[in-house]
Order: sequence, then C-alpha cells, then structure tokens
Amino acid sequence: MAQQLQSINLVAPAFKGVNTEDSPLAQDPSFAEIADNAVIDKRGRIASRKGHTVVTTNKTVLGTDSLRAIKEYEDNAGNSKIFSVGNNKIISGTTTLADETPGSYTISANDWKIVNFNDHMFFFQRGYEPLVYSNHAGVVEKMSTHAHATGVASTMYGHEVLAAYGRLWTADFSTNKSTIYWSDLLDGTAWSGGSSGNIDVSKVWPDGYDEIVALAAHNGLLIIFGKHSIIVYEGATSPASMTLSDTIAGIGCVNRDTVQYTGTDVLFLSHTGLKSFGRTIQEKSMPISSLSGNITKDIISSLQNESEFFRSVYSPEEGFYLLAFTGQNVIYCFDVRSILENGSYRVTRWVGTGFTSFTRLENGTVYVGTTNGISQYAGYQDNGLKYRFKYYSPSLTFGDASRAKILKKLKPTLVGANDATVFLKWAYDFDTTYSTAEFTVGTQISGYYGESEYTTVEFTAGQLTSQRSLNATGYGTSVVVGLEADINGTALSLQEINVMALIGKLL
Amino acid sequence: MAVATDDETIGGGGGFLDLLGGLGSYLMQPEVLLPGVVGGLLTGEAYGRLSDIGTKARTRAEDLAATQLEQTQFRPFTVTTATGADLGTRVTPSGGIETTMGLSPEEIALQTQLLGGAGGFFGQAVQPRDAREQAIFERMRSAQRPEEERQRLALEERLAAQGRLGTSSAAYGGATPEMLAMATAQEEARNRAMLGAMQQAQAEQMQQAALGQQFLGSAYLPQQQLMAATQPAQQLAALQQQAQLQGAGLFGEATMSGIEAQLVAEQARANLLGQTGAGLLQGALTPRSTGNSDLVSTLGALFG
Repeated sequence: MAQQLQSINLVAPAFKGVNTEDSPLAQDPSFAEIADNAVIDKRGRIASRKGHTVVTTNKTVLGTDSLRAIKEYEDNAGNSKIFSVGNNKIISGTTTLADETPGSYTISANDWKIVNFNDHMFFFQRGYEPLVYSNHAGVVEKMSTHAHATGVASTMYGHEVLAAYGRLWTADFSTNKSTIYWSDLLDGTAWSGGSSGNIDVSKVWPDGYDEIVALAAHNGLLIIFGKHSIIVYEGATSPASMTLSDTIAGIGCVNRDTVQYTGTDVLFLSHTGLKSFGRTIQEKSMPISSLSGNITKDIISSLQNESEFFRSVYSPEEGFYLLAFTGQNVIYCFDVRSILENGSYRVTRWVGTGFTSFTRLENGTVYVGTTNGISQYAGYQDNGLKYRFKYYSPSLTFGDASRAKILKKLKPTLVGANDATVFLKWAYDFDTTYSTAEFTVGTQISGYYGESEYTTVEFTAGQLTSQRSLNATGYGTSVVVGLEADINGTALSLQEINVMALIGKLL
Repeated sequence: MAVATDDETIGGGGGFLDLLGGLGSYLMQPEVLLPGVVGGLLTGEAYGRLSDIGTKARTRAEDLAATQLEQTQFRPFTVTTATGADLGTRVTPSGGIETTMGLSPEEIALQTQLLGGAGGFFGQAVQPRDAREQAIFERMRSAQRPEEERQRLALEERLAAQGRLGTSSAAYGGATPEMLAMATAQEEARNRAMLGAMQQAQAEQMQQAALGQQFLGSAYLPQQQLMAATQPAQQLAALQQQAQLQGAGLFGEATMSGIEAQLVAEQARANLLGQTGAGLLQGALTPRSTGNSDLVSTLGALFG
C-alpha cells in the first residue's frame, strides 16, 4: 500500500539566520546552515543582500588598491566632505578621488581611524603624526602644523582615537599600550597644557596585564577595551577626576574597527565573538551578552585567519551590523532588530563582496569601499554584476531521525528575483554532494505612475511571487535543502519551502 | 703858667750848667746834706724792706701751698666685702691713683664659669643659621613625614581603587586634583616648616645672644657687688677728703691771715721809714730865703 506523502513546510526558513553551533540534527529549521549574501528582510524572511553601486568614476589616485576607510566630514556650518584612505594616500571625493595627502608626508600603511570632532576631522594611525582637516584650513595637514596645535609628539601618535566628552582621546601607541592621552577641552590639536592629560591604566587591568585596543564612550562612561579585558571609567567629562567604575576580565576587543554604537549599546568583537554592553541604569554593572553565539566557532576561525583588517558598520536603516574580515573577503551581517532566545543576533554571511571599508553617512546612506572606489550599498548588483545568494537548511529529520525520508517534491516560494535562475539543492545524510533542480523565475517589471509611459507599460501586481514544484530524488534519514540564485538586479526573498516526502522504513 | 721864650731857652742852656753848679753847692751845705743823707737812707731802707716783704710773702705762700698740697693728698684705702672680694687703692709714684680689685676664689670660679658660658652662647649666636635651620627643618619634617606618608599611601590606595593611579592632567600639574591638593598641602607644610625653622633658628640665635648677655652680666656681678660695696667707703673717703680740703683751706686761710698781718705790719714799718726818710729829704730840700732863691727858682723853673 502506497504511503501518503508527508508535507513538511519550512515557513520562512532561516529567519533566525545561520547557526553552526548547534547539532545539525537537533536544529530548528528556522536556522540555516548557510546563508550567504543574505539578510533578514523586513518581513523576517531570508533574502538577498543589496549590492553596491559604484559612485566613483575616477579612481586614479587609488590605483589597484582598495579603500581601507571612509568617513564623512561634517562641521557646524553644514559643510560636508567624504574622505577615504587607500593606496597609502589620504583621499577625498566620491566620484573623482583626489589625493589629499600632505606634502612631504609619507604613508606606508592604510590602517587609519578617522573621527569628526568640533568642525575638524582627525586621522590617526600608529606611528604616524595625526592629520587634521578642517573647512577653514581647506586641506589635510599634519597636526603639528595646524594652528594652535600644542604638545604634538610621537608619544601620542596613537592607533585608536575617540572623540567624546569634548575631547579627543588616543591610545595604542608603538611602545606604550597602557596609556591614554586626552586633548584639551574642545581642541583636538592641543595635547599639552589646558586640561589635557593622560592616564596609565597598566595597574588597573583586572588580570594584571593587557594592552589597549579600543576606546568607546557610552552612557557617560569611558570604556577602555584591552585585548582580553575591559576597564570602564565614569566621570570622563572631567578626565582628571574620572574614576574606575567597572572592570571585566576575560573579554576584550580584537580590533578597534569592530566597535560600533547602536544607540543603546556598544558592539565590539572579542576573541569569542561579537559582544555588547547592555545598559543598566540601576545597577552599575556591565552585563555582557554574546551576540554571535550561533556562529562562535566561525567567528573565531575567521578572526584567527584574518591577515588584513577588520571593518564594521552599523546601519539603523538597514538594521544590521556588518563585520568584515577583509583578508578573507567575508562579512558577517548581524541583524540588530531583534535578539534570539539565546541572546544572539540573527546572522548571515556575505562572501566575495570585495568590501574593504564602510561608513554610514548622516543621511543614512551606507558607503562601501572597494577597489572600485566608493560605492553605495544599494541595488541588487555588485557593480553591475550578479552575485550568488545561497541558503542551505540544517539537516532535517522531520521529527524522526531513524526513518528514511524519500523526497518527492520541493516547492519553494520565492518573492522577487526577476528572471533569476534558481538552483534548488538537496542532499541526504550529511553528504556534500547535492542534487540540483534548476528553474528560472519569471520576469515582472513594475510600472509606476509617471515613470516611463504610464499608458504603455504593463500594470503589475507588485512584487513577483514564484511558486514552483520540483521533483526530488533519493532518500536518507536526514535531508539538507538548499537554494542558490544569482542576484542580478532584483531582490530575492525566500518565503517558504514546502518539502513533500515519504517517510520510509527504519534504517 | 710860665712860657719859656727862645731867649730864655737859649739863655737856659747856660742856666742848666749854672743850675748844676748851684745844686752842688747847695747840697753841700751842712743843713742840707745831713738830713738829706739820712732821709735817703731811711727811704732806701723802707724800699728794701718792702721788697723783702714781697719776697717773704711769696716764700711763705709757696710754703703754704706745699703744705696744703700735702694736706689735701689722696689717702689710699681698701674695702673688703663679706664674700671675700676686696678693693684697694694706692697712689703711684707718678701721682696717679691705682685701684685694685680682687674676688674671692668662689667668685672667681663662678665668674670664670659665667664668662665661659657667655663665650659659648655668644659663639653660638654668631654662628651662621643655615645649619641650625636645616637641623630644625629636618626635625620638623621627620615629625611630619610619617603622617604625610600615611596620607600618601591612603591617597595612593584610593587612586588605585579608582583606577586613577596613572592619571596625569596638565590642569593639575601633571597629576590628579587629589594628588595636586596633597602635594600642595605637603609643600605648604614644608614651607611652614622651613619658615618655622628659620624663625626658630632666629629665636634661638637671639636667645643665645640674650643668654650670653645674661651670663656676661652675671659674670661681672661680683665685681659690681664689690663696687657697690665700696660705695660707702668711697663716701667716707670723700668725706675724709672733704675734711682734708676744709682743714687745708682753714690752715691756708689762717696762715695767709698771719702772713697778711705780718705783711701789713712790715709794710707799715716800711712806710714809716719811708715817710721819715721822705720828711727828712723834704726838709733838706725845702728852699730857704738865704740866697738860695736862684736855685729854688731855677729848680722851680725846671720842675715846677
């Protein structure tokens, strides 16, 4: 007697993002084993990320290098200017990149940190005299040559710089890893006299020794990130009197460029993954939650293998925190809109993007630095090229790992992905050789009033929704279902995958 | 008044010789010559006696002065106090008065001790104050340091607990506000100690000088007391001297009175002799009407 097909509906698959920590067999199908070039869209579905649209048309000064940092200069007069670094140059502009490197100033590294402070933009990199740009000066100049600069010495050529509480703070020097210098009030070029000063925290580290990696300001606190510990000072508005508020041992920050403010939290990458400070008002303690608990091993592996830079950006508009390992060309995209039950963010992975730097402009636009110059995070092509969206489910046992599953049909429901070729894949019993079924999504061009010829274009029903039924083959106790598609101009969202299977005998 | 004419003058030259001739003859007259000679002798005797009287009066006065000088000569005396000190006086061969004072052995010992002490105090008073100031300052600081160290440690622990041990702010002299406040307080304490040490050293210097002065004054106290003790003796000596002076004065006055009386008598005798001689001479030279009218008239013309 023929058995009845059993329908297993994977609704909104992977809307909890990637989970490589839990056992594949025990996983919730809401997780994904792989979610590449994907984000969690506004409806909670896994969807393709946006591409990048290159803004730069003349990147001569960049050569073949990639932009390693981008920052928007802003002052109180409303002036704005985009600065970036790459090819051992200080660069300005978006469409045409211009070399702003001061004369007789030699740069051989591109690991700059750029901050805005009091109508000035400051560039800090270990071992280099800080650079300053202001609208009134009109050029990038060495700090020591800037008007009213004082106390500019090699001892304060820090790698980390923070603009907070009316001052610039710098740390992580070539030969001093425990001292923080702060500038005079409201003057980022005055490092002697006034109320400037410094603090040596070498005796404060909770576990005896550490090195300053990053600084952050949050909720009236000065947060000093070591490699494996954190020191928190309160009263930093008066640095000479600020007092130790909290110390955290065992958790530090891997790289200054992983620190991002989300408004209510400070995110940073530690050696064990992405962490955040939870803000508490009543208690002056610092609960630390792990935000990358679902990909801890992957993160650790990535940071151990990283040979270039860490870059990150927080975009409230996109609802993500991007963490890029530029040497591996891997970006982890953390969806910051909600936290899972285990305290982790939903995370997806972007691979092969070539993104080497980010910045979020005041208007919410996310700029991306690549070898092409400055791009905007927009559209669904990478500089006019398609990119591959991948989704793979965890191993599915459909509630009974001891019985064979014989897949009969796979019915994915896709939203968008006009004219995309979709590859539906499946495999049994942890096999990495997948069976594939291919189909092409139909084309649906949206027509909008006032665009093109209103009377000539076709009216459409909005987003294209595609449902296909594909025959599957094979059997096994556990099944992995995957979907790949080349994103080429249109977003793709995976609404659901309906798996029709026969439950077989005990194996 | 008769006025001589030229003729009379010319004629007088021949008259003068005549006069001398007349005078000689006149004087050779017996009634003129004897009284005249006797009168002259008496007058000469009176003159000689008056001269002797002056000489004698001078000699006697000088003798009196010598006697009075001897009578008013200083009479040396000695004073001995109850503590054994003594004061002696003597007249030196040159006429000066020499005073000698002597203290008892106990007083000498005390004086020596006091003078030595005064020398020591003065010696300390004139020493430069730097070393003493430093010594006082060090003592004051050694008293302050333990508490300062406790406060420093407490601050260090507090700053360490606050994680601010390594804080350096240009606004606070390269330290924290608390460290600056403590450093300021300690510097103020050091300054106060320094000024206090200076004042103390000055006070001690003044005290040394005062003690030296006191010791010096005390060292001369036996001598002063000896001098004080000689006051009554000096008064007695003065009284004695005054009595001597008065006695000598009375002696002199009495002696001079006798001399004066003698002088007056001698003078009277001489005057008497003189008057006698003068009378005789006058009688001898008184013109008579016996042909001596030409001489008389001539003498009258010459001396009249």
